[in-house]
Amino acid sequence: MNLSRCLPSAALAMALASPLAAQTLTITTSGGDYGAALRDALWAPAAAELGFEMREDSQSDSLAALRMQVMSGAVSTDVIQMGSLEAAQAATMDLLEPLDPEIVDIDGLPEGARNDYCHPFDSYGTVMAWNTETFGDAPPRSWADFWDTETFPGRRALRANAQDLLEIALLSEGVAPDEVYDVLESGDGLARAIARLEELKPDVAVWWSSGAQSTQLLKDGEADLVVTWNGRAANAAADGGAAGYTFAGSVIGTDCLAVPAGAPHPEEAMKLIAAMTTAEREARLTDHILYGPVNPAAYETGLIPEDRLELLATAPANAGSSVYSDPAWWVAHGQEAQIAFDEMMNR
Amino acid sequence: MTGTAAMTAPATPDRDTRAGLRRDARRERAFFLSLSLPALLLVGLCAMLPIFWILRQSVMTLRGEFTLANWEKLLSSALTWKSVWTTVELSGATLVLCMALGIPLALALASAPPKIANRLLILVMLPLWTSILVRTYGWLVLLRRDGLVNQALTGTGIASEPLALVYNFTGTLIGMVHFMLPLFVLPVYAAMRDIDGNAIRAAASMGASLPRTLATVVLPLSAGGIRSGAMIVFIYTLGFFITPAVLGGGQVSPVAIRIEKVMSTFQDWGQASALGVLLLILVAMAAAMLAAARRLIGRKGKTHA
Repeated sequence: MNLSRCLPSAALAMALASPLAAQTLTITTSGGDYGAALRDALWAPAAAELGFEMREDSQSDSLAALRMQVMSGAVSTDVIQMGSLEAAQAATMDLLEPLDPEIVDIDGLPEGARNDYCHPFDSYGTVMAWNTETFGDAPPRSWADFWDTETFPGRRALRANAQDLLEIALLSEGVAPDEVYDVLESGDGLARAIARLEELKPDVAVWWSSGAQSTQLLKDGEADLVVTWNGRAANAAADGGAAGYTFAGSVIGTDCLAVPAGAPHPEEAMKLIAAMTTAEREARLTDHILYGPVNPAAYETGLIPEDRLELLATAPANAGSSVYSDPAWWVAHGQEAQIAFDEMMNR
Repeated sequence: MTGTAAMTAPATPDRDTRAGLRRDARRERAFFLSLSLPALLLVGLCAMLPIFWILRQSVMTLRGEFTLANWEKLLSSALTWKSVWTTVELSGATLVLCMALGIPLALALASAPPKIANRLLILVMLPLWTSILVRTYGWLVLLRRDGLVNQALTGTGIASEPLALVYNFTGTLIGMVHFMLPLFVLPVYAAMRDIDGNAIRAAASMGASLPRTLATVVLPLSAGGIRSGAMIVFIYTLGFFITPAVLGGGQVSPVAIRIEKVMSTFQDWGQASALGVLLLILVAMAAAMLAAARRLIGRKGKTHA
């Protein structure tokens, strides 16, 4: 009761106190625990600093929601959180405002992660996980080991999707991390990756389709070697599963922040993105969720405890042999790659 | 109402009475038709409209222009035909297993004393009250590598190492048969229960053996129930999604799974719609085939008599 009477006057007081009338910005995230983490660590403190009022919206399918808003000409959101691949698709459909490099520090990001439309701020790794009961003290250490079915016999589980697996297939053949997309871009690169996956196919017991399923497979010992996301592998171990995993050769995916084309407050939105992605805020996000910062300076803040560091895909000790998933390649070749992958799976 | 109308109509010219009766009959039909109007409206809005919308979408580009590209892509892809074949294979195998397990079960139920039959029937119905998701995951727990079934098999020495019972065709089939069996047994049981006991006694008194009685009396008389059961099983399973998704482990991909895949990985609504229409055609073809089979058997039945 009191609160409801209090709030408008508090807003009014703030509006009067700030030099400009407070802007109300709308942010769209995927909601749930993740959305709450983004609020508490990133946008709520950033907005308080800039004196913005905020409205929160949540959408499970950011691309569909964005498309709907832009197509109907009724854009209500100023900042939208997306997966980098969806964002790249959105950019090709002219659904995003290009980011202003004067406001958002694009060049401060690692080379593979830079993006002109959607600013990556957190990351997860697609990693190799294994059953520690099966392999004991001599677990597989690299993707080459993952393919070595003689030294490491056992049932494999892979995601039923070409994403990350093509990169991993090439890494397993000894392609250097920074050359993976050059090889894929070259004439027979895709065919080479698919052929490598087909080689492993007889040992693939399950093609999983949801992250939860991959955790379950690992925890139950249904599969001995699993390609999964680092958070999922950590979950399996935390739930008492005999699971180990390594970031060696992980494929890093990122989530990013973008401004929809025709957003009501584009300039303020970019300022908000810049304030959300400072080294400190990205470091703080890891208190809430195991998504590693993309801003390299976050690791120099000393805000991330040692025992957290080893769980993050982009931590300096983990990222050495990693590949940043390249949204541009996937937007250009995703269709072709997925079809080739599907045909391989069903052969 | 009809009765009173006919009574108060002038008794003499016979023609007028008949016309009145006809008029009343017409009114009655119109009345009953109007009763079904809400249901028709609902079916029209909730079933027919979306189907037309899907049909329309299957021949549209993203920008809303007419195109046959979706269909060309679909029909020329080996993945489509493979998934159609997997669908038919799954539904066919489910049907065969349901018949092999369901007909003896229905027979046992129908020949048991009513009191026991009713209790057994509750047991048959029980799975229907559980969510398909729960049942499917239940099978996962039972059938996986260190699941109960494999533990029992390896523990008793029947199998030397765990069998691959799930994340493949076998596991999917087990889950589907389990789901469909009650739906098959119910109509078959209903048909068998309605068989006049005298017909069976007559066959027995004429010296027919049990198998002969079954083959010449019981099965032909319950053919209607078996047919409806088969129709339900086959057509229902053509669109199955959850069971192959959970128990198939990516190794089994019928049309329903393909639709999801096309939507989620390619965001290709046009092609997914075309696949949906293809599934609909498949269902219609199956229904037509079963109907034709019924007519054929019906005719044969008549020449017998």
